[in-house]
Amino acid sequence: MAQNVFQSRNKAKPIVYHLRDVIRDRASEGVTFRLRVPSLQITQGEKIALIGESGCGKSTLLDMLAFISQPTDLAAYRFRPDIDIDAIDVARMWKKRQMNRLGDLRKRHIGYVMQTGGLLPYLTVRDNMLLSRSVLGLGDDGTVDSLARELGIARHLDKRPDTLSVGERQRVAIGRALAHEPSIVIADEPTASVDPFAAEKIMSLFIELAEHRNITVVVASHAWRHIKRLGLRRLAHHTQRSKDGRTTETVVNG
Amino acid sequence: MRLIKTLRLASRDYAHEWQMSGCFVLALAAVLGPMLVLFGLKFGIVGGMVEQLVEDPENREVRPVSSGRFDLDWFGNMARHPDVAFVVPRTRSIAATAELSSARSSRIVRSELIPSGPGEPLLPADAALPDGLNSVVLSPSAAEKLDAAPGDTISASVTRRFAGSKQRVHVELSVAGIAPVAAFARDGAFADVRLVEAFEEYRDGRAVPELGWRGDPPAAQRSYPGFRLYATSIYDVEGLRNALTEQGIEVRTKAADIELVMRMDRNLSAIYWSIAVIGLIGFSLSLGASLWANVDRKRKELSVLRLVGFRTGDIVWFPVTQAFYTGLFGWLLAVGIYVAAAYAINTMLADQLANGQQVCVLLPEHYALALAVTLGAAVLAAALAGFRSARIEPSDGLREI
Repeated sequence: MAQNVFQSRNKAKPIVYHLRDVIRDRASEGVTFRLRVPSLQITQGEKIALIGESGCGKSTLLDMLAFISQPTDLAAYRFRPDIDIDAIDVARMWKKRQMNRLGDLRKRHIGYVMQTGGLLPYLTVRDNMLLSRSVLGLGDDGTVDSLARELGIARHLDKRPDTLSVGERQRVAIGRALAHEPSIVIADEPTASVDPFAAEKIMSLFIELAEHRNITVVVASHAWRHIKRLGLRRLAHHTQRSKDGRTTETVVNG
Repeated sequence: MRLIKTLRLASRDYAHEWQMSGCFVLALAAVLGPMLVLFGLKFGIVGGMVEQLVEDPENREVRPVSSGRFDLDWFGNMARHPDVAFVVPRTRSIAATAELSSARSSRIVRSELIPSGPGEPLLPADAALPDGLNSVVLSPSAAEKLDAAPGDTISASVTRRFAGSKQRVHVELSVAGIAPVAAFARDGAFADVRLVEAFEEYRDGRAVPELGWRGDPPAAQRSYPGFRLYATSIYDVEGLRNALTEQGIEVRTKAADIELVMRMDRNLSAIYWSIAVIGLIGFSLSLGASLWANVDRKRKELSVLRLVGFRTGDIVWFPVTQAFYTGLFGWLLAVGIYVAAAYAINTMLADQLANGQQVCVLLPEHYALALAVTLGAAVLAAALAGFRSARIEPSDGLREI
């Protein structure tokens, strides 16, 4: 163990996510959807893309990476958000159902961009972006303002989300995911509900911001062509349906 | 700190959704308001009616059937009895009359004298009482015939046949007050026991030194043929009757009437309590259901809060805070509805009621009870729903649109 730590500390890029034989089953209308991850390793600063049709299990994997969905079965799940700390045994936390500790890990290290904003309608744009900071006890130190400038939404800071366009809302959601300076950002089809032209602009901006801050990014999308140009690593996965049609299994490796 | 943050978010959401919040408040008040009015009516009408029946002195009276011999010791003992509200000696009924006259009226009114004293049950609690040998409270019919008002002076006279000749004495009386019609319907006067006693002594040929009436020396041991006795409440009449019967004193009571009143009191109370309990259950259920549905509606937003890092325990406070607001504002509105309705009802029926009597009444503790029940049901329902939504996986809540 001590040697292991020593080794990984000497590595330039530590492994943020280490998953082995992680399975998540989901039953719906008599059909079982299974997501299987035989092995997945994501190193710090990597930009990962999960490409595929909706319903193939992309969101399920992202939710497990964000600790908001529990694997049905797993062999190993280690999480090391920071080079200065040892790898955290997330598998054990899940077995002990320490949801609040997992929540604490998430709020400290992870930013999450939902497909449809997930902004709170009763808060202004500024307060929505400050939310991820305030749960950590961080004040408004200008981060939100500079993020808003970079995202092109500075003039909307004191408006409520319902007065913004969908694209602007997604920019706010990205801002909220970055405002507390996380080391990982997970984005579930962040541009799916925006027109293709705006989608490319927003995605580019998002990756650029993450690159700047050396943030590890995992993004799900179905538009590979654009993502590829941004230099993301594509996670290999294939989906197969059993002969009786009662189970659909997606296997992700990488 | 986290708690305050949750409370502030919940408050902002509640204010932001003011239309929806207003609907919840209205829905609550629409159920609670009429319930308060119903309860106010029960408390006012039935409570007042039963109280009146229970307190009606006529129902509390215990009368001796035949005359006996009751000495002062007996009256002392009875006065100390916890079930006895009022007891005074009664003189022979023939002796207990006097001829009243006044300067303003030419009529001479032959009136019964009712021995009275402090705590007289037939007179209102705050009315002036006859005190001493020189004052009386007139019955309304006597007062009318004498054209007498409180503060006037009238004259009473009695006659006797003593030492072979007819004699008459006069005594000046001030009118302390006029009794209500309900107290005494015939010509009569409530007088201090000592005055009634003095008239009887005089009639019997004995001297009354206090008034300067001459005659034989008074008897060594004074005893009375009867009494005026009132129980503390109608519920004590039965016990008193048994106690007196044991002493060999046969008495007459309004036992049948009392039984009727008591049964009515019990039945009406039972009816109202069942209405109140059913209403309360229905009210709690409707409040709980609407709050539960509201938490379900907010599942996505609650999941977003969890995604950002709020803990399960914090999340529960969110719906609880909002339920608290709904309960509080709904209660305030319901109280407003009640106050307006009660005012309208009481004003409408004011002419038909005795002074100060109200049809629709609630005591401060009733408002407090309504608030406690409302907040209790609201917070409980919201907490249960909150726990339920806090227990589902955050990812499930997020995917619902």
